[in-house]
Amino acid sequence: MTDATMTAAPSRSLWQDAWIRLKKNRAALASLVVLVVLGLAGAIGPMISPHPYGAIYQQYVRVPPSLEAYPRADEIEPAVTDLIRRARVDATETEVSGDTVTVQIASDQPIDERVVRYFQRSDQFFNPELELAGDGLSGTLTMGVERNYFFLGTDNLGRDMLSRILIGVRISLAIGLLASAMALVLGVTYGAISGYLGGRVDNVMMRIVDILYSLPFIFFVILLLVFFGRSLLIIFIAIGATEWLDMARIVRGQTLSLKRREFVQAAEALGATRAGILKRHIIPNALGPVIVFVTLLVPKAILAESLLSFLGLGVQDPMTSLGLLISEGAQNMRGASWQLIGPAAVLTVILFALNFLGDGLRDSLDPKER
Amino acid sequence: MSDNTILSVRDLRVTFQTNDGPVEAVKGVNLDLKSGETLAIVGESGSGKSQTTMALMGLLAANGKATGSVKYRDREVLNLSERELNKIRGKKITMIFQEPMTSLDPLYRIGDQLAEPLRYHAGMSRRQARPRILELLRLVGIPDPERRIDSYPHEMSGGQRQRVMIAMALANDPDILIADEPTTALDVTIQAQILELLADLQKRLGMAIVFITHDLGIVRRFADHVAVMRRGEVVEDGTAEAVFTAPKHPYTRMLLDAEPEGQKLPPAPDAPELLRGDKVHVTFPLGGGFLKKPTYLQAVKGISVNLREGQTIGVVGESGSGKSTLGRALLRLTESEGRVAWLGTELPHGIDEMRPFRHQLQLVFQDPFGSLSPRMTVGQIITEGLLIHEPSMSRAERNTRAGEALEEVGLDASMRNRYPHEFSGGQRQRIAIARTMILRPRVIVLDEPTSALDRSVQKQIVTLLRDLQLKYKLSYFFISHDLSVVRALADHIIVMKSGEIVEEGPTEQVFDAPREDYTRRLMEAALSTERFRPAS
Repeated sequence: MTDATMTAAPSRSLWQDAWIRLKKNRAALASLVVLVVLGLAGAIGPMISPHPYGAIYQQYVRVPPSLEAYPRADEIEPAVTDLIRRARVDATETEVSGDTVTVQIASDQPIDERVVRYFQRSDQFFNPELELAGDGLSGTLTMGVERNYFFLGTDNLGRDMLSRILIGVRISLAIGLLASAMALVLGVTYGAISGYLGGRVDNVMMRIVDILYSLPFIFFVILLLVFFGRSLLIIFIAIGATEWLDMARIVRGQTLSLKRREFVQAAEALGATRAGILKRHIIPNALGPVIVFVTLLVPKAILAESLLSFLGLGVQDPMTSLGLLISEGAQNMRGASWQLIGPAAVLTVILFALNFLGDGLRDSLDPKER
Repeated sequence: MSDNTILSVRDLRVTFQTNDGPVEAVKGVNLDLKSGETLAIVGESGSGKSQTTMALMGLLAANGKATGSVKYRDREVLNLSERELNKIRGKKITMIFQEPMTSLDPLYRIGDQLAEPLRYHAGMSRRQARPRILELLRLVGIPDPERRIDSYPHEMSGGQRQRVMIAMALANDPDILIADEPTTALDVTIQAQILELLADLQKRLGMAIVFITHDLGIVRRFADHVAVMRRGEVVEDGTAEAVFTAPKHPYTRMLLDAEPEGQKLPPAPDAPELLRGDKVHVTFPLGGGFLKKPTYLQAVKGISVNLREGQTIGVVGESGSGKSTLGRALLRLTESEGRVAWLGTELPHGIDEMRPFRHQLQLVFQDPFGSLSPRMTVGQIITEGLLIHEPSMSRAERNTRAGEALEEVGLDASMRNRYPHEFSGGQRQRIAIARTMILRPRVIVLDEPTSALDRSVQKQIVTLLRDLQLKYKLSYFFISHDLSVVRALADHIIVMKSGEIVEEGPTEQVFDAPREDYTRRLMEAALSTERFRPAS
């Protein structure tokens, strides 16, 4: 036996092996990092962001993205003037120094202490203090300038886009992943069983799938939402419950060709149980196309959710998702393109990363690539 | 170099860029082909014999690169542009492949596929091409060409498809026909017919043939010149006579000696009867449908066999004769009628009922590439049976048993952590045998276990099977179309045709004095050493 001389390789499981191969694939690894970072941003970003995702800044409606803080230096004086006018007093002198504004105010009538409220209500200033002169006709108003950063601008209601994108990433990724996981488990099990048992069982199981296919998706979702009430969980289930049908068909097709392969017959000749054959032979060998399909399924689920949200069946304001943000952004793209560009860019990055990762996973799960 | 040399290959090298760096598949090959001559390139799988011809046809895979010189009628053809190459390729140098099943496009009629080279190279219209196509079909011996010209490939048998492929290659009167294992996928009797056809056509049309094969029997009967290749190099070349009568290189001698030898003595007359089949019938439903009446194919028609301890029954027959189905029916792996008894008691039907018997009745498949799951390590593959039949066994114990089983079949125990694709064909077949041996079976059905292997590896597997049989008193039910292997392994022969036993008896009797015509034809096609003569 001349060809029996090979050096021993350490024992590794399929997944350990796959991980080692995946690490060599730079694009896939980078995608994984991007997805993890985005996932973390979605999970903890909204908590550490200075702007709650629902907070409305009336003074900052549709402001463009900027690295500078709002209000800008040249906007402070007009803002002060505006507020002074509304408070029906006259400003004799306005002085802006750093983060504090000092305004000398005067009036024909005695100034009410309550004019401070106009400044308290503003998003642009904080901690206004009024020192009235003895006659009550003039005084000194000092206040701090509230520095607000809107790196990605604000929407039509004056909400911070960054915070909204972060919460959108959270919701969209959660829906995409959970719905795909549900479709994966349901579809793979159903398809593998149907394909492997074959014959009449296969016929009946696949006709059930056909019937479910013919149900309109929206109708199905409305039905579910009416019965169980609207919640995020029901949205997961509704999307997962429709997406698994494709998965079941793909896995069934794979199984049909796999079960004629000799290694499956060899397992049958060894006396393996049906469950054992499915678990050890059919499902691992069907993984390649399944993984690729899952990476396509995640974006599909994300888009399905945005459709539901658009119709008012998904998440509702002030909660949001990437799909919803994009559809809002699309309506305002002429005057406020940042409302579209921000969420669209994030979604694109997610989809790209998922695709690269899917390709990498498929390759790394194939032992021939070792 | 004489004047009538039409193809001369000088220092041809083929390199493939792979993930593990460049791999040199052909390392400086020199060949000369004279017109009207047959040159056989012989070698085992991986010897570079196919890549040599692929390079000169410009058909290398995208990561392959050829250097050196290939001259066709004093014109350099290596690395010509696609357009220049197409003037020669398919017209003056044509090729036929191993798999007639996949070389024809299933969506086109035979006539349309044959018209392709005529329309492309000779510029004929569809109508002009038709008489020429009929002529070609007649030339390659397709019966009823007027009807067959409108058939689809699936309506033809393997032999007929190979004839169509040959007709396609001949369409433009080539100078050189390259045949890459053209008969490997065919039954022996059809193989003989095809080779006779080629010999006949060569004489009539005067073309040169480059014949690539691993089968020395064919070479001896067919070729004028032989080049023996090993690991990308030509180790010996010369006239067929010289190579066969006085091989110089040890590798050639090894190939010539690779014919399995020896005989199997019948078991003791009082050896207990292990497996007995009485009037086994197997019927497959064919098509039929929702409202249509199903039709049936009788694959095995009432066959009785009796396998005793230590005995090897050889089952021979052409493809479609039902020999594999019979083997499976005896193991209750396919639905059958009739009685199958194990040690005198009838074997139950049904997956769960059969499970307790499975470890004693095992099966080894033909294709060692398909019968091992690509996603499992060798250790997992081998121990799967233990997982089923001895579920209480600990992981460590299973691991030891896997190591033992591997060593038993001549592999290193440390290889159990590798994946099947890292092994060669022969090694994989050893793994498949280890998978059955770990259960300590008493009967093994061997379904063409050596057909997919090289001759020298075949011999090793035959020796292994023989050693295992002696050591464990195994009984084999050996299914094969390769008569020389059957002769070396079996003590009793069953000849099958269309689901029935044509002839049966002790090996020597069947081989030396066949009673039936069919058996005689089979023997002749497989074991004759006579040269193919053009039909007169």
